[in-house]
Amino acid sequence: MGFFTEGLRRGAQLILGGNPEVFGIALFSIRVALVATLLACAIGIPLGFVVGTTRFWGKRAALTALNTMLAFPTVVIGLLAWGLLARGGPLGGLGLLYTWIAIVLAEVVLAVPIAAALTAAAVQSVDPRVRRTALTLGAGPLRTYWAVAREARFALLSGVVVAFGRVLAEVGAAMIVGGNIRHQTRTLTTAVALATSQGDFGLAMALGMVLLALAITVNVLLQLLQGRADARGA
Amino acid sequence: MLAARELHHAYGGKTVVAVDAFTLAAGEITGLVGPNGSGKSTLLRLLAFLETPRRGELTLRGTPVRTRRERRAARRVVTLVEQAPFLFAGTVRENFAYGLRLHGVHGAAARTAAEEALARVGAGELVERDARALSGGETQRVAVARALALRPDVLLLDEPASAADRPAANQIYLALEAERARGAAICFSSHQLEDAYRWSARVVALAGGHIGTITPENLFRTDLPPGSGAREVRVGPLTFHIVTDKTGPATIAIAPDDLIVSAAPLHSSVRNTFRGRVTRLAEDGRGGITVTVDAGLTLTARITPAALAELGIGIGAPVVLSVKATAVRVY
Repeated sequence: MGFFTEGLRRGAQLILGGNPEVFGIALFSIRVALVATLLACAIGIPLGFVVGTTRFWGKRAALTALNTMLAFPTVVIGLLAWGLLARGGPLGGLGLLYTWIAIVLAEVVLAVPIAAALTAAAVQSVDPRVRRTALTLGAGPLRTYWAVAREARFALLSGVVVAFGRVLAEVGAAMIVGGNIRHQTRTLTTAVALATSQGDFGLAMALGMVLLALAITVNVLLQLLQGRADARGA
Repeated sequence: MLAARELHHAYGGKTVVAVDAFTLAAGEITGLVGPNGSGKSTLLRLLAFLETPRRGELTLRGTPVRTRRERRAARRVVTLVEQAPFLFAGTVRENFAYGLRLHGVHGAAARTAAEEALARVGAGELVERDARALSGGETQRVAVARALALRPDVLLLDEPASAADRPAANQIYLALEAERARGAAICFSSHQLEDAYRWSARVVALAGGHIGTITPENLFRTDLPPGSGAREVRVGPLTFHIVTDKTGPATIAIAPDDLIVSAAPLHSSVRNTFRGRVTRLAEDGRGGITVTVDAGLTLTARITPAALAELGIGIGAPVVLSVKATAVRVY
């Protein structure tokens, strides 16, 4: 127990002392997660809209595929991304392996199904009269989509927050395609794994506490958004 | 203005609309009646270009509307108010701004259009209210006003007054009447035969998706001056004695069974007596005889074969038709 409390104490010390290593890694993680979430939402939200609002052959299969991809193991995604980006892989010539861009790409693959599936669910739960009303008032397809998105905005934002949380907390893909290189591709999760294996429990605890604080912040935000969405029935 | 031909629509193999021909004319209100599930709402959604029929064709101002682009263009001049209308989150004014903006009306012009349209349905005081906090009747009035503000060429309304109380319903229908006078083609569905007869020039009955027939005998459109109780109203060359508190547009209806046919005027309490000549005698298929009489207006009575034999009348025979003032229905 003494070992554990000592680790906690040292972790707190590092955070309160503004340790540049801890905060550098935290800021890098947040930056990578934000870029990955942004890109994933730029792809996933329109995709979810199409799947959720249009009728097409194989729609049920598409929804099932999206929902299955939610549970895709992150190490497998990392593995596939590594295969693509490795020197002998199809995208090896780009030289992206072990760069922060590689982490972003792997995390985009991870987060697109989340953004798409949650968007599809959000727009499917919107009152069908919203679409019809927008159309009868003279809206074209884009403005009709916008009216639906506006009604589902809290549920859509919840999807964005879930995607951000998943990307921030993921370790497998970042480790495989990022390589956990200090000051270059070391994220909170990969740093915790490394510090623990190196026996620096205090640093691991400090990084873990920052990660936990971020996760709690994300979840509080999510609760607030879901509360608003429920209150609106959207 | 808007015409449907051979219109056919089905959900999951079940036919919900099968209409051979249906036309909405400019400057005319058409009432659509029928029981629940008769296809009224689906027909209105097809006419509003919200759904694409499985078969058949819709023409707007004589031009067929077939492609997605044409349907979208048509929706700019054809609008529908649904039975349970949806108002966007925000104020009532913001709800108007949405549609008006899409029709190129902004700023002060949009504000004026919203206020005028709300005033027409007697809901001017609702303009700054939260749209989601309105009652069902208020929501309907706002939705009708929101559609009126767009000044559509074709205005379709699905049970526009089903949640409104009687004065509010009258205000909605008066606003439709004003819109008709502007030249719009209007079609509303209603459970209330009374509303359909009172506020529309033409009543169309829908049953099982098909247009059926409504007994058209003895229905006369009129405009009732203010007043109440026992009154006289002139329709063409005839004067009807009626009992009603209604004013404004109305339909007078006399059931053929309520018209008494006699050879000479009756000495009785009957207030309405019309002289005319028999123009047609026919079996009605239900064991009765329909007697069509030209009394200045065409009136149809239903009598028994025994009564016909006793009266001894034939085509061209002079007859007298009588009906109590209280038996004259006013819709």
